[in-house]
Amino acid sequence: MKMLAGALALGGLLAGCSLLSPPQGMGGYPQPQERTVPAARAPGPNGEAPASQPVPFQGAPAQPPAPAAPMQRQFTLGPAATALVGEAHAQERTRNFGLAAQTLERALSIEPGNPLVWIELGRENILAGNPTQAYGMGRKALYLASGDPHTQARAWQLIAASLREQGRNSAAYAAEERAAALSQN
Amino acid sequence: MGGLLAGVLLVGVLGSAGYVYYLDRMVTHRFEGLRWTLPARVYAAPLDLYAGLDLSQPQLEHELQRLSYHQVSDLQQPGSYRVSGDRVDIDLRPARFADGSRPAMGLSVAFGPAGIADMRDAAGREVPVTRLDPLLIGSIFPSDGVDRIVVTPQQVPPLLPAALKAVEDRTFDTNWGVDPMGILRAAWVDLRSHRIEEGASTLTQQLVRSYFLSNRQTFGRKIREAIMAVALTEHFSKADLMNAYINEIFLGQDGNRSIHGFGLASEFYFGRPLSELDLPQIATLVAIVRGPTYYDPRRYPLRTLARRNLVLKILAQQGVVTRAQARAAARRPLGVTQGASGAYYPSYLDLVRRTLQRDYPEKELTEAGLRIYTSLQPRVQALAERALDSHLQALDKWHHRSGEKLEGAVVVTSPQSGDVLAIVGGRDADFDGFNRALDAHRSIGSLVKPFIYLTALETGRYTAATVVQDQAVSIKLSNGRYWRPHNYTRRTYGPVPLVRALGDSLNLATVGVGMDLGLGKVTGTLRRFGLKQTPDQVPAMLLGAIDISPFQVAQLYNGLANGGFRTPLRAVQAVVSVDGKPLKAFPVQVTQVAPAADVYQVDSMMEQVITHGTGVPALRILPPGLVTAGKTGTSSQDRDSWFAGFSGGDLAVVWVGYDHYQPTGLTGSEGALPVWAHLMTSLGTPSLEMPAPEGVTPTWIDYLTGMGAPPGCPGAQPVQVALPTGTQVPPMPGCAGGTTVGTVLERAGQWLHRLVH
Repeated sequence: MKMLAGALALGGLLAGCSLLSPPQGMGGYPQPQERTVPAARAPGPNGEAPASQPVPFQGAPAQPPAPAAPMQRQFTLGPAATALVGEAHAQERTRNFGLAAQTLERALSIEPGNPLVWIELGRENILAGNPTQAYGMGRKALYLASGDPHTQARAWQLIAASLREQGRNSAAYAAEERAAALSQN
Repeated sequence: MGGLLAGVLLVGVLGSAGYVYYLDRMVTHRFEGLRWTLPARVYAAPLDLYAGLDLSQPQLEHELQRLSYHQVSDLQQPGSYRVSGDRVDIDLRPARFADGSRPAMGLSVAFGPAGIADMRDAAGREVPVTRLDPLLIGSIFPSDGVDRIVVTPQQVPPLLPAALKAVEDRTFDTNWGVDPMGILRAAWVDLRSHRIEEGASTLTQQLVRSYFLSNRQTFGRKIREAIMAVALTEHFSKADLMNAYINEIFLGQDGNRSIHGFGLASEFYFGRPLSELDLPQIATLVAIVRGPTYYDPRRYPLRTLARRNLVLKILAQQGVVTRAQARAAARRPLGVTQGASGAYYPSYLDLVRRTLQRDYPEKELTEAGLRIYTSLQPRVQALAERALDSHLQALDKWHHRSGEKLEGAVVVTSPQSGDVLAIVGGRDADFDGFNRALDAHRSIGSLVKPFIYLTALETGRYTAATVVQDQAVSIKLSNGRYWRPHNYTRRTYGPVPLVRALGDSLNLATVGVGMDLGLGKVTGTLRRFGLKQTPDQVPAMLLGAIDISPFQVAQLYNGLANGGFRTPLRAVQAVVSVDGKPLKAFPVQVTQVAPAADVYQVDSMMEQVITHGTGVPALRILPPGLVTAGKTGTSSQDRDSWFAGFSGGDLAVVWVGYDHYQPTGLTGSEGALPVWAHLMTSLGTPSLEMPAPEGVTPTWIDYLTGMGAPPGCPGAQPVQVALPTGTQVPPMPGCAGGTTVGTVLERAGQWLHRLVH
């Protein structure tokens, strides 16, 4: 029964999977750039650093003072993470929640800073009956989704679902309001 | 008289018959129930491959070689790869992971300028993501040291039993477990050549000796061994006995670990599964059977090579292989892997063992054949070991203090998942001894400061630009004495912004802030981030009078590297039973323990530690432009040299000091920092890119005064820090671009007011 309620609450989250539009313009200061294809750790023969070093986002004295305007962007999942999320969904359908979590953790090791992976992992935790963990992952996703209202809305939906599972209905309602407000933008 | 003799004979015969019967029952019973205890096997994290991964072709080849894949010109069997142009074709072995298994498969990886461009299977279908095999990094064997990998007859190349029979027991298929003719023949051969070339024992006798009997050489034991061998032959098939022999026999020693069975010996000597061995390798193992200590291929390669070639000659004589095959094989080198155990990580295994001891009794770990999947990344582990060892060697030349060896420890984590990527417990990383990463509880010194400043920011009364006083303080302790700390330089610096107080690690300014906040509040912050103990509530706590291990420091700093989310560090990800059933998983966990905006501000100050403060020496080592954040730590009298810091992908904590607490004469910047910077450089780690939370605005201020100072401002040291949006900073005189005057000075005034009253 509780599981069903959780699954229903997740409807909105799953619907959010369609947020796959091209990234919008970025600019300005030190906002992190989402990486659809992450610069993952590159093992090196005998440990040399890879030829291409990551480009710093700051510290160049020629940079003008940062503009305060908030930056808009949109997270997407790269192909590898998309494949793993799909695999996890299939595992969930056969109620293999433990396996699904491990599959999503593979996606996490590929794109650790992508809030969409954290939302998936949180969603999986609700299905597996761990709403407290799901809440933490919702907060983490919200933190990482800075500048992406669509993903922030989905993070709030996850937070709302996790709160509802814990019986914290008024807090859940407030979270849903936040999600709705962001979705309207 | 005759009756008495007959009686004695009768008793003797009956007694002998009884003894034979007893041995027969015992052997049958024990052999039927024969189940080898299987030590838990421990695996490193497998490397995920996918299009877009920043991995070069040589890097992939290096990873394959680490897994003992060999390069060939034609793919014929799993465990090999072929390079053609910018493509690597791999014949992947079947592999078992925590979440399932993968059959052997062909994989074609194409490379472009940015790493892996495309991946296809043997049928040409696109593969979005797949894993290499997990590297076996060790096993948890019982105190008697017996380690083995059990193989089924299907996993044994047919050449092995054929070779064993040809060399050790030619009549194995037909004999009764003993071979009187063999004994005579062996004696004759040995006599002729004046050396031991052929054994007198059948394979069955060797099996009995290994499985049932002690190694004492007595005549009685010889008799018992023969009776038991006959009994085994009577009751069991030759195929069963051969399989038992292949799994049972002793084939080498590695410290206190003894290598049993050809399955483990194959991994131990050649780093690959038994099924992949070729003729010269099988001949080598058959050579070792005769005397694993005498024919140790790593210690006595020439002697072992000669014995291997003798084995090859016998195989050709007996028609097991052709003479041409034997001659070709004899030209090959021994080809054993370097290092006694291939991959051996005692410090990391120590952490694995401790993690599991909470959930599993010792017996289950050492006997039940568990498969343990860990977060270890062998590449990171190797780089961490090298970074520590090479810097300590350099320091040895300059710092001959007590005649004792300078020691160190390193912990590397992936902050987001909390995965422990590497553990170095000392400069001799192969030594399974004192694990400093886990057990050296040392004073953390200034590593505590970011948590004090985070506590300050959380009150809303401080920002990175807030000016505090670095001045002499004198604090009355509960015992009536006064505590008078001083700066490392023994100078005072007067009014300084918070960012400089942290960057230059000013003790007096920090004590002022900490006393303003209260020790309880600072302790609360540390405990939220994962400190298990409650430090003594004395003011010296503010300067790091807290004794914890590098591993515990990594847990605390992981939350700073992670936007204020606590994620328990994990070495073990999952435990799977011998038949592949998932037993236990250690999933990623996150709990928010500090507001993201406040952690973001502290992290932006910790970036300045490296660009302007005590971490500046790292800039000489780090790749230009790499953004990192961290903090030095030096305990009183330079007993401990620490650095803890992170990039966008890795957190590393380094400790350097003497085991017996002698002063090292090294600050955190001199001892630990270079190790950290070399490690970060070799990792190829990405820049720190924190998502800017709402409510903070990046602002340029002068490092020395905290006044608004855009880049290019004459006479200023502009640094970029995050400030709560709306914070007003006075512009530096003569600089354009500052904001409204007043707030900071007012706040500083208020602070002084509180301090005085």
